[in-house]
Amino acid sequence: MPDVPPPLEVNREPRDGTCPRCGAADLRAYPVVAEQGWVQVVKCQHCLHSVSREPWHRLGPIQLLADLV
Amino acid sequence: MSSPTIPTAPRLRDLSDAEFRAQYGCDRFSATVITNRLRYAVEHMSTGFMREAFSPIIRDWYDFACTISGPANKGYPMAVVSNSLVVFLGTMGDAVRNAVEEYGPENLRPGDVLICNDPYRGGRHVNDVAFTRPVFVDGEIISYVTMCAHQLDMGGTVPGGFSATKANVYENGLVIPPMLLWSQDQPVRSTFSLIFDNTRWGGMLLPDFKSIFQQLKLGELLVLENIDRYGLEAYLGTLDYSCDTSAERMRDAIALVPDGDYAGSALIDADGLDDTIDYTVRVLVRKRGENMEIDLSGTSPQARTCINCGVLDAKTAVGVALTMLLDPKVPFTSGTWRNVDLAVPPGTIVSSLPPDGGIMMFWEASGAVASAVFDALNPVLGHQGVGGDYGSTNTHNASGVRADGTPWTSATQCGGEHGPWGATLAGDGDSYTVLFTLNNLDPATETIERDSPVVLLRKEHAIDTGGAGVFRGGAANLKDALWLTAGAHYLSPFRTKEASGVGANGGQAGPTGAMWLFPPGDDGATPGLLGTAADVYADSIPVAGVLDPETKALDPVDGRYHYFAAEQVWATRPNTILRCLTNGGGGWGDPLQRDLERVLADVRNEYVSVAGAARDHGVVIEGDPRSDPEGLRIDHEASAQLRARRSA
Repeated sequence: MPDVPPPLEVNREPRDGTCPRCGAADLRAYPVVAEQGWVQVVKCQHCLHSVSREPWHRLGPIQLLADLV
Repeated sequence: MSSPTIPTAPRLRDLSDAEFRAQYGCDRFSATVITNRLRYAVEHMSTGFMREAFSPIIRDWYDFACTISGPANKGYPMAVVSNSLVVFLGTMGDAVRNAVEEYGPENLRPGDVLICNDPYRGGRHVNDVAFTRPVFVDGEIISYVTMCAHQLDMGGTVPGGFSATKANVYENGLVIPPMLLWSQDQPVRSTFSLIFDNTRWGGMLLPDFKSIFQQLKLGELLVLENIDRYGLEAYLGTLDYSCDTSAERMRDAIALVPDGDYAGSALIDADGLDDTIDYTVRVLVRKRGENMEIDLSGTSPQARTCINCGVLDAKTAVGVALTMLLDPKVPFTSGTWRNVDLAVPPGTIVSSLPPDGGIMMFWEASGAVASAVFDALNPVLGHQGVGGDYGSTNTHNASGVRADGTPWTSATQCGGEHGPWGATLAGDGDSYTVLFTLNNLDPATETIERDSPVVLLRKEHAIDTGGAGVFRGGAANLKDALWLTAGAHYLSPFRTKEASGVGANGGQAGPTGAMWLFPPGDDGATPGLLGTAADVYADSIPVAGVLDPETKALDPVDGRYHYFAAEQVWATRPNTILRCLTNGGGGWGDPLQRDLERVLADVRNEYVSVAGAARDHGVVIEGDPRSDPEGLRIDHEASAQLRARRSA
C-alpha cells in the first residue's frame, strides 16, 4: 500500500483583537476564494464577520515562473 | 444552532427611483431591459456557434458557453451568462480577470481576441479554451465578451484527452497562457501554429475558431448597440445591477438556513495510477447570518493522475450546489458568491497544483464538491433538500480503424455520460440529463452510429434504480454499445463504491452503477441484444463497480470493487459490447408515504419492479407489467399492512 499523505487543512493564523460585530476574541487570517478571486481575509471565527479583506495573489498559492522574468 | 437571521442590508426593491439612478446610471426599467437584451446577445452568439460548429462535442454536446464581463475598474464582474454549460459559466468571471490582468489590459486593442486554456489560471481543463474580446468605447475597455468552447483535442498523450491516467501537466496537453489569437482583427499565425502543431484534428478546430471569432464580433456589436441606445453609464450600471441582483437573492437564501456548522463528504473511487487510494472531498459548511464559508479542509491530497480539478472549479461547484439547494432562481453571475467564501488548502484533489496535480477529469472532482455540499446541507434543509445525482459521467473515449483503413474516434458518447438527478419537493427526479454542474445536450444516436462503427443496442432507464421516496430519484441509465471494429477504449467511471445520489428529507439514496465489457464469442459473430438479468454478467469483463465475485452482477454490500483503470487502455476485439450503468438519483421524502397510484404507475412504466414496489415502498402490486400492463392493480389491504409493519 502506498503512503497516503495526511489530509490538508486551511492554515488559519490567529490575530490579536476582538470582532467588532460580536465581540469574540477569535480572529484568524487566511486566504479564501471569493466573488472577486483570491482574497486574504481576517475573519471572526465565531460570526464570520470580515474585519479586513484584501486582494491576494491572482492565482492564490500558485506563482508563475514567468512572473520572475 | 440559532434561528435564521433575516438580512438587514438595503434591498434593491427599496431603493427610490433617484437612489436607483444614482447607483446604476439608469432607471429600474431600463436596467431590466438592458439585462434581458444582453442575455439575448449571449444566446444569439450561442445559436450562431451551434449552427456553424463542425466539432461534434460542440455540435452535439453544446460544450461551450458565452459570458459578458465588466471592466477592470469594476473588478471584471461577470454579469450575463448564456443558458449553457455551468462549469464554464462558474469559472468565466475569474478566467477573464486572470487572463486579462496577466496579459495587461493596457496591451489590448480593438479587434483583439485573447485566448487562455490553463486550468490553474482559468479553471476547467486544457481542452476548454476561453476566447475573450475586449469591447472599446472612446479608447477605453468597457467590457469583455467571452466564449469558452471545448476543443476536440489539445495534445497530450491521449487522443481527445479524456483519460484518468495522465500523470502531470506535461502529459496532459498543450497549456496556452494568455495570448492573442487575433490581433486587431488579423489572425496571429504564430498562435495558430502553436495550437495546430501540438493538437490532433486541427482541421476540425480551424473552422470552429473562425466561427468563434465571428460570434465574438457579434457579441461586441450587440453590446455597442445597447450602449448606443441607452448610454454607457446605463450599460455599466446594468452590469452592476445584474450582479447585485444575484448577490441579494443568494444572500436572502443563505439567511434562511439555520446558523450552524454542517459537514458532508463525497467519495471518488480511485485515480488512474492504481486502486490503492480512494479520494474523499470533505466540506464544512459554516453559516452565520447572511454569510457562509465553505471549508474544504480534510479533503484528500491531489491525485497522482489527472483526475483533479482546480480551485475555480471547486468554487463553481459550490455556487451550483447553493443555487440548486437554496434558490434555483438566483441568476448565475459573479454576485452569486458575494456572501460565500471558499476556504481550501492548496494541493487537494479539488485545488491541485502544477505540475504534478494534473487537471483533466475536472468535472468529476468538482462534482464531488457539489455532492458533498448536498450531503452537508440536506439534513438541515428538510423539505427544501434535493436528492443527489448520478455522480460521474462515466466517460467513454475510444478510437480505432475501420476495415477500409479510415480512422474513427468517439468522444463522450457511448459511456454513461447522461444520467439521473435526484428528487425534490416538486416531484420525481429527471432520469436522463447530465450532472448538476453540467448542462449539455445528448448526442443523437443516428449521429453517433454514423460517425463511429458502433451500434447502440440499449439506451434506457434501468429498473429499480431511482432512490425511493415520496418522490423517486431519477432512474439510472443503462447503455449497451456494440463496437463493430477493434477499439482502444478509455473508461472513466469514478464513483461506484458509494452512492452519489444521496437522499433528501428522508428519501433513500440511488444505487451505485457499474461498467462491463462483453467480449465476442469464439466464433466472433456479431452478438444480438444482451439481456438485463443478473445471470448475463458471468461472461463479462468487469471494468468498474462493486460486484459479486462469482456472478459479476451488482453487489454493493458484499461485492468486490473493480478498478476502472486496471487497463489504462481497454483494447477490445470486434463485436465487443460495452455496458454502462450509471448511479441512480436520490429520493425525496419517506418512501412509505409515496402515493400508491404513483407506485402503480412506476410499475406500469417499469421504473419499479413488483418486488421493488413492495421492498422499497411497501406497496403490493398484483399482475405482470410485461404481459398485462393494464391489468396491474394495487392490493390496498396488503399494502396497508406492509406499510404498517415497516413503520413499526
